[in-house]
Amino acid sequence: MNRRFRSVIFIGLLLLLLCVPGFLWRPQQRASVEEAYRSQMAPVFLVPGSSATQDRFNDLVSGINQKTPHQHSLLRVEVMMDGTLKYTGSIRANDTQPIVVVGFENHHDGYATIKKQAKWFTIAFKALQKTYHFNHFSAMGHSNGGLVLTMFLEDDLAGTKAHADRLLTIASPFNLEEFDQNVDTPLFKQLSAGRKQLPKELTVYSIAGSEGYSGDGIVPFDSVNRGKLIFQGQVKHFTQMTVTGANANHADLPENQQIITLIRQDLLASHGSLHGQ
Amino acid sequence: MAEHTGKLGRHLIDFDIKFRRNRQINAIYHALRLIFPLILVGTLADFINQTWLQRSGYYYQTLHVAKWAFQLKILRQYLGLVSAGTLGLTAILITFAVSVYLVAPVTPLIVDRLMAGIVAIIALKSLNVNRQSVLGNHPVQWLSNNLGLSGIFVGVLVGLLVGNGYRWLLNHQHATQRRLEQNVGGIALWLLVLTGLGFVWVSTQTVSLNAALLAISRWPFQLPHDLGTLLGFGLLTGTCQWLGILGPIASVGGQSIEAAQNLAAVLDHTGWQIPHPVTLHTVVDVYATSGGPGMVLALLLAIFLVRRNVRQRRMGWYCLIPTLGNFNAPLLIGLPVIFSPILLLPFLLAPLACITLSWGCLVLHWVPAVAYPLANGTPGILQAYLGTGGSGAALLLSVVELVLSTAIYYPFVKWAGIAEEAVSHEPTIS
Repeated sequence: MNRRFRSVIFIGLLLLLLCVPGFLWRPQQRASVEEAYRSQMAPVFLVPGSSATQDRFNDLVSGINQKTPHQHSLLRVEVMMDGTLKYTGSIRANDTQPIVVVGFENHHDGYATIKKQAKWFTIAFKALQKTYHFNHFSAMGHSNGGLVLTMFLEDDLAGTKAHADRLLTIASPFNLEEFDQNVDTPLFKQLSAGRKQLPKELTVYSIAGSEGYSGDGIVPFDSVNRGKLIFQGQVKHFTQMTVTGANANHADLPENQQIITLIRQDLLASHGSLHGQ
Repeated sequence: MAEHTGKLGRHLIDFDIKFRRNRQINAIYHALRLIFPLILVGTLADFINQTWLQRSGYYYQTLHVAKWAFQLKILRQYLGLVSAGTLGLTAILITFAVSVYLVAPVTPLIVDRLMAGIVAIIALKSLNVNRQSVLGNHPVQWLSNNLGLSGIFVGVLVGLLVGNGYRWLLNHQHATQRRLEQNVGGIALWLLVLTGLGFVWVSTQTVSLNAALLAISRWPFQLPHDLGTLLGFGLLTGTCQWLGILGPIASVGGQSIEAAQNLAAVLDHTGWQIPHPVTLHTVVDVYATSGGPGMVLALLLAIFLVRRNVRQRRMGWYCLIPTLGNFNAPLLIGLPVIFSPILLLPFLLAPLACITLSWGCLVLHWVPAVAYPLANGTPGILQAYLGTGGSGAALLLSVVELVLSTAIYYPFVKWAGIAEEAVSHEPTIS
């Protein structure tokens, strides 16, 4: 009788011993679950360049939707100068990968505006996050839009507790329109100084357009090329591509078929709601 | 044997003894016993890999393995190879063994016995080929994804078919030929017939035999989650496991949409408001799988409480570690529970009792529903506790259910021990 219970008690104690790490770990459990948690919805933010509005990507989105089985709904947000938001379009219920275009009432060119736009983008991002409860996302910026997104990732992403999956910049001039390779603009200095804050899990694609020898007609190639000085060594992957041929000048790039293909492949595809899969 | 066994017990023991004396069943039991060491080694490798080395493992998370272990990647690869080389080939091993054990009593020739096993392997593999490669006249591609633990049932079926055929051939040889040399013509004919059967299957069916069985066993996932569905699912999973369709049938819950919505609700809001409190995941995965599907941890405890059969107890010690991590295959194969009529009853009843009790507690809001993802290898009684973020009521319910299941298993384990002793005192295979 005694021996019978000895082995059962031994197993019970062993079971209890194996439970100990679980009991000790439990206070950290919520943090660990939150860390690994990825919401089902992961929106894709598109930010247009200077002198373009939130309607800039309408054609691009309908082009994307024609070719993908998954129909992405489109929400356009305009951030006014006073920080209020104007919405057009809508996010379909159960759409796990909606496209959100964030445009700005003030869309002039220049370093000062870009800095303001980054803050305005943060306002829009936080408002959407509050409504839709996503905690990870991807983003694409055309021209200065890529600078706005980079600035957001460096300065304000940590405050939102969201995870950035992928970033695609199209012809983003990380050294503005500076043709002299030896001159660092204040914008480049700022982005370079903040590069340590870039999310380590981010995958970045930088696309340059090429017409002729030095750039895409507006942005010098060297300025786009400087993206690598900001991202390399800081993010998980950084890939730089150059697109030539038809529609390779600066303004036409978002309608370039090669770039639409790249957006579908690299920004929209293999989206998973579970991290690390 | 003056022990009090009761009327039901006596009936069950008598039936079990008759069942075990059956030639076919006898061969299956011997085959299961033969492959047990391989299954144990493979499961231990899998257990260490899944629970200590993978991100989703219980010990990996709670003991912060990543911080102190070295060469994790190489270890994972090595253990992955070990378990693939053992568990991954279960169906082949079992079909070989069943066929050999069926033929062994009718021939003293080793070549005949081995050839029966070899032909069985070929027959099994001819059911597991890439359909396109056969029909398109390309080099044939063999499939290996249906040969794991979930393939035991098909392995047994093929082993029985081949072994009995071979046995019939041997019994109908000319007397002069008998017991002298190998029957080459017979083997060739039987092989061609079997491969022909495989070819007919491959050319008419688009799925492998095993995939077809698995598809049937997965249908309840589309159903809504009320008590009837949960019980039906428990019954179906139990029956499949008992027939030797082991493997990942029950553990898909963590990835379902409901589970994702539950988790999102808990993380987005303060408090514990769960939109889907009753699902397969929150009831079956959490409360009815201590020690793996079938509440096998309770079976283990019952074995040590009964303490009558030495072999049972030895098996219990062997299977202790995997069972504590919810890996139930070694105990199901070693004892065996698979194809055991006596143990089928508690193997079905214990989970059903747990499902009903948990469902009642959830509906009455006595325990919160699970929302956090469950780590692999979490000790059975801790799954509900950690899944609810530390609910004492959930922990208590798990312990109560473990005790209840042990009580359900107890008499049946005793009877199974008596039946086994009765059979093992007789000579079986020469």
